[in-house]
Amino acid sequence: MQKRIRVGVDVGGTFTDFVLVDEYRDMIFTGKQLTTPTDPGKAICEGVARIAREAAVEMSSLDGIVHGTTLVTNAVIERLGAKVGLITTSGFRDVLEVGHEMRYDLYDLFLEKPEPLVPRNRRLTVNERVGSRGEILVELDEAGLKAASDELVAQGVEAIAVCFINAYINAEHEKRASDIILSNHPDLPVTISTVVAPEIREYERTCTAVANAYVLPLMRRYINDLQDKLTALGLTGPLNVMLSGGGIAALRVAQEAPIQMIESGPAAGAISGAYYGKLTNTESLIAFDMGGTTAKMCLIENFKPEHANTFEAGRVRRFKKGSGIPLKVPVIDLIEIGAGGGSISRLDAMGLLKVGPDSAGSEPGPVCYGLGGEDPTVTDADLLLGYLSPDYFLGGEMSLNVDVVRDAIAIKLAEPSGLDVTAIAAGIHAIVNNNMAAATRSHIAEKGRDPRRYTLVATGGAGPVHAYGVAKQLKLSRFICPLGAGVSSALGFLIAAPATDGVSSYVSRIDQIDLDKVLKIYRDMSGTAIQSLVEAGGDVNTITIKRRVEMRYLGQGFEIAVDLPDDLDGVNLPKLLKDGFLERYTELFGRSISDVAIETVTWRITASGPTPNIQLNFEGQQIDRGAAEKGERQVYFPETGYAPCKIYNRYGLAAGTRFAGPAVIEERESTVVAGPDTTISVDNHLNLIIDIQYPQDKA
Amino acid sequence: MSEQAKNDFDPVTLEILWSRLICIADESAAALLRTAFSTLVRESNDFATVLMDADCNCLAENTGGIPSFVGMLPSAVRDFIVRIPIDQWHPGDCIITNDPWIGSGHLPDITMAAPIFYKDKLVAFSGSIAHLPDIGGAGWGSDCRELVEEGLRIMPVKFLRENVEDPFVGETIRSNVRVPDQVIGDIYAQVAAQRVCAKGVQQFLEDTGRDELTSLSAALRSRAEQAMRAAIEAVPDGSWHASVDADGFDDEETHIECELTIKGSDLHLDFAGTSPQIARGINSVLKYTYSYATYPIKCALDPDSPRNEGSFLPVTISAPEGCILNPTSPAPTAARHLTGHFLPGVIYRCLAQVVPEKVSADSGSSPTLRTVYGGVDLQGNRFNQVLFACGGLGANHRMDGYACTAFPSNTGVGSIEALESASPLRVWKKELTTDSGGAGEFRGGLGQDIEIEVLSRSPVNLSTLADRGKYPPMGILGGKNGSLSKVELSDGSHAHLKSREILKPGEVLKLHFPGGGGFGKPEKRDPAAIQRDIDAGYISIAAAKAEYGYESSKASTS
Repeated sequence: MQKRIRVGVDVGGTFTDFVLVDEYRDMIFTGKQLTTPTDPGKAICEGVARIAREAAVEMSSLDGIVHGTTLVTNAVIERLGAKVGLITTSGFRDVLEVGHEMRYDLYDLFLEKPEPLVPRNRRLTVNERVGSRGEILVELDEAGLKAASDELVAQGVEAIAVCFINAYINAEHEKRASDIILSNHPDLPVTISTVVAPEIREYERTCTAVANAYVLPLMRRYINDLQDKLTALGLTGPLNVMLSGGGIAALRVAQEAPIQMIESGPAAGAISGAYYGKLTNTESLIAFDMGGTTAKMCLIENFKPEHANTFEAGRVRRFKKGSGIPLKVPVIDLIEIGAGGGSISRLDAMGLLKVGPDSAGSEPGPVCYGLGGEDPTVTDADLLLGYLSPDYFLGGEMSLNVDVVRDAIAIKLAEPSGLDVTAIAAGIHAIVNNNMAAATRSHIAEKGRDPRRYTLVATGGAGPVHAYGVAKQLKLSRFICPLGAGVSSALGFLIAAPATDGVSSYVSRIDQIDLDKVLKIYRDMSGTAIQSLVEAGGDVNTITIKRRVEMRYLGQGFEIAVDLPDDLDGVNLPKLLKDGFLERYTELFGRSISDVAIETVTWRITASGPTPNIQLNFEGQQIDRGAAEKGERQVYFPETGYAPCKIYNRYGLAAGTRFAGPAVIEERESTVVAGPDTTISVDNHLNLIIDIQYPQDKA
Repeated sequence: MSEQAKNDFDPVTLEILWSRLICIADESAAALLRTAFSTLVRESNDFATVLMDADCNCLAENTGGIPSFVGMLPSAVRDFIVRIPIDQWHPGDCIITNDPWIGSGHLPDITMAAPIFYKDKLVAFSGSIAHLPDIGGAGWGSDCRELVEEGLRIMPVKFLRENVEDPFVGETIRSNVRVPDQVIGDIYAQVAAQRVCAKGVQQFLEDTGRDELTSLSAALRSRAEQAMRAAIEAVPDGSWHASVDADGFDDEETHIECELTIKGSDLHLDFAGTSPQIARGINSVLKYTYSYATYPIKCALDPDSPRNEGSFLPVTISAPEGCILNPTSPAPTAARHLTGHFLPGVIYRCLAQVVPEKVSADSGSSPTLRTVYGGVDLQGNRFNQVLFACGGLGANHRMDGYACTAFPSNTGVGSIEALESASPLRVWKKELTTDSGGAGEFRGGLGQDIEIEVLSRSPVNLSTLADRGKYPPMGILGGKNGSLSKVELSDGSHAHLKSREILKPGEVLKLHFPGGGGFGKPEKRDPAAIQRDIDAGYISIAAAKAEYGYESSKASTS
């Protein structure tokens, strides 16, 4: 493949991360800038210029920039998006407000639901109706549509979303509606539901269309401005974006369907997890990222993260399923729970020790920061247990206060519960690990698999501190702490392949299915996908297309995805679908029923280009290696209590080093903790591979 | 004893062990949910999985479970043991019943329990309850006069003996229901859930080096009980009374009397004076009455402690034998929720007299209006479709009720597009109903109107299960009432809310789901909120004037 020099840019809440990969020299450079929230392009341009300078690369010789941002998520969470108007089918004005009609918390009489992104006075209806088989029942009232859009414009909307009932099966009316609105208001961004989510289920489709319209004006301004700034800097290569599904796409996607970028950062994190899997030759791994507020877990099989088709954005109660806005967008399938360094610990009404999901954040932060935090957190417990150094937090930029932590734990938790301070600190550490292990175990069980065959790859500031405990609770025999974990999302942008997803709904019993219709669906989806990849700089000849279909027993609510062969021409489709479905069903649930009808629901494709082949070599970066051993301190492990433990400097550990735990290994952005029952080795890529020995190891 | 048990477990150990057991119940629930055919299991979460210790005490329940099943499994399993002595329970056995008095209150629910053995000792029971797609008889409805009309009744019996299906039991079920493959399929979905639970418990015991669970459950119960006792104690002692009227069936209206007494940390509910049981399927057996009496108490007083049997120990109820809240066998009970769902409202009107800030007004969905459609679709396939939808939530002391939200059950609404793709029905309208929420300082949530057309070539059977045709959801502390339920046919006539109709092709039904009751006097409502309601079309200008005496500043322009 053609060698390239590219930069990955991840705009986060606090920092914007940069990675430059030079494939000619096989070198990698990393950098960080403080994010500039009011004008994110400023930090991006400064950072790109700086990293290019450090790598001694001219802006004009950069072959491209891949970019992801939390702008979309933040706009939805903080309600900073545009004033949107919504036009729906007559009789369905309130789909967006009514939703699923359920309570996400059964015992909270005062629960709050997410406020709809469009209030009722900006939701208008128009006469039109498509039937459930795609037939036109009522023609589109074009004059009524124009009047509705005029009224919305008069109300001052900055974007319009359109979602008609059954449009997933016949989008004609939606397309015409878009044309009419644009011919009257050419500069108004319009999102029709079938462009962003051509799938059955009107509530989710409406939410997706509305959320897209909501972030569209913002993202267009931002992208256009960024492109201008980078061009002014001398960039000639393309600016591409990372999608939530883990694919790289042309800038046009961000300008038309920015909602697809909502989870670009976490997706990139999972992609780099997969990359570390390849580097260490680990087929089944759990990418585990733990930061200040949340922990994210993603399963990676055969170096590919798993995918999902829905995502819940802007949860009112952060970690409560059902408290957000459901979006139909392809995403990397990851679970996120309220477990981070800042997670607060308290005693509940039953007197049990709880950890999270609420977090002390960075302000006031944990008690040990000394910034006014009073509630003991996970970081506080980690400090007390000796896992964190009071003098080498963030590479020594911040010092932590142990005494105030001991007092806070004593007063708030130890005295009321009758336990001593050490037991509480160890309890906080164990409970937060337990919460993460439990969520991971359930996630794996839902897929019908055994956790024990996985290896954990830990990233994030708190990930390596807790990986040992989580791995032990899951009974894993190995965990890995990669180098470069601090910029893993930005790195993921450069590792990801150009890819795009296509989706189409066709609900039919498989014994009554129309093969020609299926072939046409796949032809249309492939055509669109290939075109979009070529636009992103892909080569038609290297694009591969994977087909799958989601089916269910007639009457069941859960669909199961089955992969389809590349060529469907002339196959016995009903038999192929039935066999595929029954096999997968049995795999998941241990049994199947042969005499209940099966129906297809959603047809999908993923089109992707070749994955870049990158060598991870940090030699280019100037690192002060120093000595490997930093001394000793008292560190707590359940088996030994507080005992002397060697402290290592990660940068001093050369490839091929091997030693026995217990060990605490410090690096700038994190600390690796390994218990007395471990062996640590450093591989050629400077990853730490930690093996755990269990007492009665059964083969 | 309970102090002793509590001391055996510190707050850290207990938290870790318990959350692991809850996970086991949740994984068991996930297995059931994903393999069940029943739309009631899937769309309305009408199922539960429970893990019990060797003494049938509850250890953990699935987190997403609905209130219907609180406390039902432990007493069912105790009943099983009386009938089938414990030395006859073997690994791989599964015992089932759908008897309303032993199980969960009506025939469509199968209650199942299985023993869990560890090191050759019975250490726990797994249990589950799930609403089957069909149980024979007249089909799900509210109008049967006798229990035998409502379907097949199965007294506790082994469905599986050491993993082998009892042919007599299996064949009897298959030959007495409408969709045998789906019904048996769902019973096996419950079996799958039991197996997941058993495997989880055995792994748990191995990992933790324990060999019994009773001391753990005692510690949990004791802590949960203390939390609830503390919550009850915070309310002043006293006795408060309220009553509610409901449609009942034709001339036999339902009247519920409720006296709530708090003394120290004990709370007692007395339903003396409630109307007698009737020969229609709306009788609520005492177990179901208990579930819907304790659920609102937990929501109001102790919402934050996790679900545990101990929470309910300080709460006792009494209802005279033979009344509609404690009917004697063989009363028909298929639509028991049409009585039981009135309990939160009447209990909250008692509590409103002492802790108004902890309760809400009546909701339009308590009980909700449910319609079931059955027949043959355009392709000649049989179909059976339940239309799930809700009325508005009652308002509370700090906010308006949400529109169209389930309470006290948690039945979601499916997608209209999915409904249309699966059955010969077409929905022309599903929209909020202006002025349907009760006025008040805080307004009741709006209900909705749904218009639904029958497209099949042959007539479709409609079964309606509803109430609130005569008595609307009530406002509280001066708040006004919500709207009434309605099912209107094409010819303008109104369908019976607890009966069956035959719909001819082309018939268009108009359904109204009531809005919730208001909270506090309307004259205390913030004028800005009234204007916002007018702008959004939640209330009309006329209603703003009539209910609130509010003259809209924008009235002249619209």
